[in-house]
Amino acid sequence: MGIWLASKEICDEKSEMQLLSIKTGFVFLLASLGLVAPIALLVSHAKTVRVVASCLVIASNVVGCFVAVLCFWQQSTAIVDFSRFSPFPLALGIDRLSALFLLLICSVAAPVSIFAVSYFDEHYGEQRRRSMWAFFSLFLSSMVVVVTATTGFAFLIGWELMTLLSAGLILIEGDSAERRHNVFIYLLMMHAGAAAVVASFFLFLPHSHSLDFVAIRTASTGVPAGVKTVILLLAFVGFGTKAGIIPLHLWLPRAHPIAPSPVSALMSGVMLKTAVYGFVRFSFDFLAGSPPWFAYLVLLAGAVSGLLGVLYAIAEHDLKRLLAYHSVENIGIIFLGLGTSLLFLAHRAPLWAALALIAALLHTLNHALFKSLLFLGAGAISRATNTVDLEELGGLQNRMPITGTAFLIGCCSIVGLPLFNGFISEWLTFRSFLAGSVLTGTRAQILLPLMVGVLALIGGLAAACFVKVFGVAFLGRSRSAEAEHAVEVPPSMQVAMIFLATICLFIGILPGFLLRPLVSLVQLLIPSAGVPEETLSIGQVIPWTAATVVGISAVVALFKRRERLTRTWACGLPGLSSRMQYTSTGFSKPIRYVFARVYRPDRKVEQRPGDQPYFPVSISYRSVRTTSYEKALYRPFVELIVSLAHRVRRLQTGNIQIYLLYIFLALVLLLAFLRFRP
Amino acid sequence: MGLIGIATAKILSSFSVFLFLTIILLAVARRISTSVLLFGLQSAVITADVIATAFQEKLPEVYVVGVLVFAIKVMVIPRALFVLTKRLKTVRDVQASTTPTQSVFIVAAIIYLSYAAVHSYAGAIHVSDDALAAAVSVILTGSFLMVSRKKALMQMLGLLVLENGIFLAALITTFGMPLVIEIGIFFDILMGLLLMGIFTFRISDTFEHLDVSKLRRLRG
Amino acid sequence: MRIVVDLLQALLLILVAPLVRGVVARLKARLQNRRGASVWRPYSDLLKLFRKEELVPPTSSAVFRIAPVVLFAAVVCVTAFVPVVRSSALIDWQGDFFVLVYVLALGRFFLSLGALDGGSAFGGMGASREALVSSLAEAPFLLGLTAIAILASRADIVGIVAWTLKQDFFNISTVHLLAFGALAMVALAETGRMPVDNPTTHLELTMIHEGMVLEYSGPSLALIEWASAIKLHLVIALLIAFFVPWGMSAGDSWTSLALAVLFYALKLAVCAVLLSIIESAVAKLRMYLVPDFLGVAAALSALAVIFTIWVKR
Repeated sequence: MGIWLASKEICDEKSEMQLLSIKTGFVFLLASLGLVAPIALLVSHAKTVRVVASCLVIASNVVGCFVAVLCFWQQSTAIVDFSRFSPFPLALGIDRLSALFLLLICSVAAPVSIFAVSYFDEHYGEQRRRSMWAFFSLFLSSMVVVVTATTGFAFLIGWELMTLLSAGLILIEGDSAERRHNVFIYLLMMHAGAAAVVASFFLFLPHSHSLDFVAIRTASTGVPAGVKTVILLLAFVGFGTKAGIIPLHLWLPRAHPIAPSPVSALMSGVMLKTAVYGFVRFSFDFLAGSPPWFAYLVLLAGAVSGLLGVLYAIAEHDLKRLLAYHSVENIGIIFLGLGTSLLFLAHRAPLWAALALIAALLHTLNHALFKSLLFLGAGAISRATNTVDLEELGGLQNRMPITGTAFLIGCCSIVGLPLFNGFISEWLTFRSFLAGSVLTGTRAQILLPLMVGVLALIGGLAAACFVKVFGVAFLGRSRSAEAEHAVEVPPSMQVAMIFLATICLFIGILPGFLLRPLVSLVQLLIPSAGVPEETLSIGQVIPWTAATVVGISAVVALFKRRERLTRTWACGLPGLSSRMQYTSTGFSKPIRYVFARVYRPDRKVEQRPGDQPYFPVSISYRSVRTTSYEKALYRPFVELIVSLAHRVRRLQTGNIQIYLLYIFLALVLLLAFLRFRP
Repeated sequence: MGLIGIATAKILSSFSVFLFLTIILLAVARRISTSVLLFGLQSAVITADVIATAFQEKLPEVYVVGVLVFAIKVMVIPRALFVLTKRLKTVRDVQASTTPTQSVFIVAAIIYLSYAAVHSYAGAIHVSDDALAAAVSVILTGSFLMVSRKKALMQMLGLLVLENGIFLAALITTFGMPLVIEIGIFFDILMGLLLMGIFTFRISDTFEHLDVSKLRRLRG
Repeated sequence: MRIVVDLLQALLLILVAPLVRGVVARLKARLQNRRGASVWRPYSDLLKLFRKEELVPPTSSAVFRIAPVVLFAAVVCVTAFVPVVRSSALIDWQGDFFVLVYVLALGRFFLSLGALDGGSAFGGMGASREALVSSLAEAPFLLGLTAIAILASRADIVGIVAWTLKQDFFNISTVHLLAFGALAMVALAETGRMPVDNPTTHLELTMIHEGMVLEYSGPSLALIEWASAIKLHLVIALLIAFFVPWGMSAGDSWTSLALAVLFYALKLAVCAVLLSIIESAVAKLRMYLVPDFLGVAAALSALAVIFTIWVKR
């Protein structure tokens, strides 16, 4: 199962040069992101140093892209060993899977850094700007370390640093009590997840005697089934917390909206994907598949996250919270693909397992691209109008055409419409569900085709949600004075968004070039899999469809003729104001009504009565939704822990003699254990 | 003879499809008259199956049973129920305690359950999977109708559907019970209907409604 | 030669669509004891609208202007997927029925955006209701198609039609009956017909599709009307192709093609009659009863998928 066959280094002149350039590029990336830029920013106060450091960050991301592309397309592997510089084994390397995720990180981080140049300039003073850039580049380097780690220690260091640095970035932005509370919950849940990940790594130790990935891989065949079960469950919980599976998602809608927009883009677009990377590493690379019950668990978690994520998103009118919930939904879709792949593997159908894994990995890449585009768009909106509340926006398309078009492309991609990249991965997922009917005699034979309905429902609700988002924010009349006087954002922000939008369109129309290296990547993870022909057919049907649609649109648009601007008709109603348009809450009301059992809001209507009973002075309506997990799952759990802690507190009596007694007892127990151990 | 033979074979192999359709539509029906009509259709399908079985197995007694089923369950009983509905002047709605969507999902679960349960037996006693599963589904749907519909008339209808299912199950497994027993069963049903009709009248007269969920005076 | 026939199929779907609409309207009028307009009326409507000037609200943006174009292009693109007189189509690859459903969704997405761009309350109302109906209709649509695809062991529309042609009509398959029920209900929802939406209503509070196009006029309105007529024709053609395709020509000879066109016209007429009877017989559902309607369709299609493991026909 070697991705890692270092002996596979082809002894060729050209590939030697390639390997050298890859290694140099990689070291440059790490050094500039992890050492040069932060140190320069933290040490010197000169403005030119900051400008140079930010350019260095952007440049290193571009270099990282090239390195990743080389590794991904040219099938090379590279290892860089830092063990001499550190007390524990710290080696980084890029194999195919890491190359995909490195490409994901760098291709998203490059435009986001370009965006951040203007964003940080606008929002922060000089001093905070420096610290933001320093933390930003360290955050990027920690994510690079996580996906390129080849030893457990490197992975875990990067993992913890990601959490701490993103929390730092959030706190630099602002320090109110509410923000600190949200960051606290974020840190708490991330550490709980990290503990599970650490435990799952350490469970390999008795069998592999080191945390090197190569050692773990070779030793995993000898691990007994019971331990494998525990490892799988711990990995699922640990990586699921970081990825945002329901019910472990509570930190997502708290942490993502309060971060600055470029950081939210990175957190939602890239950091969640590192969790997917970890999960794929564990279940496909280390453990080579899983028993069917685990695959059903992953499938169920994916379905629930997808459905509930999109339902919660529809009810939001804060744009960033809405996008955070959509991340939950898309992680659900990714896990649907992963679960399907594991199920096919468990039932010994490697061809379809490969297809499902391709679908999941492609959706990971696509989601990183369009989610960061959407968050950058939210950042642009907040810069232009100082708000991200949908109820205060409107009519922005005419005032910010480039932002609007890029945001529209992002919306179409996340909904999964054809001609955009979201559709390709969703189509592949649908196709792998349909293939479930070949597993005759198992429960999966009906369960997988029924998942077609679940994914279709998720897609339909996502479409409804993004009609609302784009329609209320960018179309129609402006609902507030700020929206009416919005100005287009500076060119650097536009360039970043246009770049991401173009990639989304490109992958959506010509998916073939990306699918071929993905197929070879998956063939390494799942041996004895052929090439699923579906990946070839989608590469042909989509360009034809795109050509047809675009061609017909062009022909029709050529025949468009004179138009006259006149009042909105609205059946002859006079005096239309912007308040007469549909609000975001009103738009989502039918769907919220139909799915009322999911939301269970607490509603309160307050009236201040006037002189006469039917004419109150004011009426206010408040509807508060706390997701049911907080009440049913978390609060009892938290209360249990607090009561346990209270009981343990009784050990601290404050009496010195009792403490000496504890030490004495510990010594006695140790001696007894030495004497009587089996 | 060839054409009739083909038709008989087709009826025997595909009548379960139409039974499934009738029970799904019964779950969705909102008016009492629609439910009665569906019951009539269901009985017609069962008649067709009876006649086809009679032709296939060459048992003349079963022809008589078929004629009886047609006369009583397709002609007399639905007409009587229609007349009853008109005379009682109640609201036409079925007053279900589950929404149509939930009812259809429950009936879908019932169908799945019947297939899963019948699978191991059907092979052993040499009957087709579909037919036995259809019979069990009809029985379970009849009980579901009795449980979830609050009108007294619908309780009657649920019982009739239940009886339909039992009759069908008996037909499939035994290819027709002795004629005397069949006639006895039919008269039992007629008597039962007569009694239920009288009681429904009295309930409606005394309480001025037919909502059985409100008839709770008799409790401890 | 094959490409010419496939192109003619697509053109047939596009050009005959207003006639289908006209026939259904006339049949409904006759059922309501009126004389009804001529069946060629939709054509003259389209010609009239194409010649008119276009009025655009001043607050609208580029999305308002391109929405009808994208809707029309999407619907016309889908006509290339559907076999009508032969079991072949212009675009035919494995898994293309997912593409079909989602290209229709693309058109609908842009139409809803265009509705919100009008800046009036009616557009928002239409878009909001359409969002509810379409989000709930996609699952039964795809599940019904999946059930038939599993039975046929093929994933492309043309392949499924070819498989169905080889089956015996009198072997009624439970899967097909259930899938037909589900798809018929979804078809009513997707094309905006009774009982989900009244296409001839004049009360804004009862409008779903009409509410979305309230602000459009002139050529844009013509494109939208034509697109919805094509969609109706398309959905009927899809149902005919999946469930009663017998009569399609097997070869390329002109006689067999002409015969196939005749058969298709016959089936189309039967469907038009059925549609007009259904539309005249049922009342429009209250808005919040439409999820129930679509929930029944979802249950039927889920049952169809479940039945594929027991029924090997």
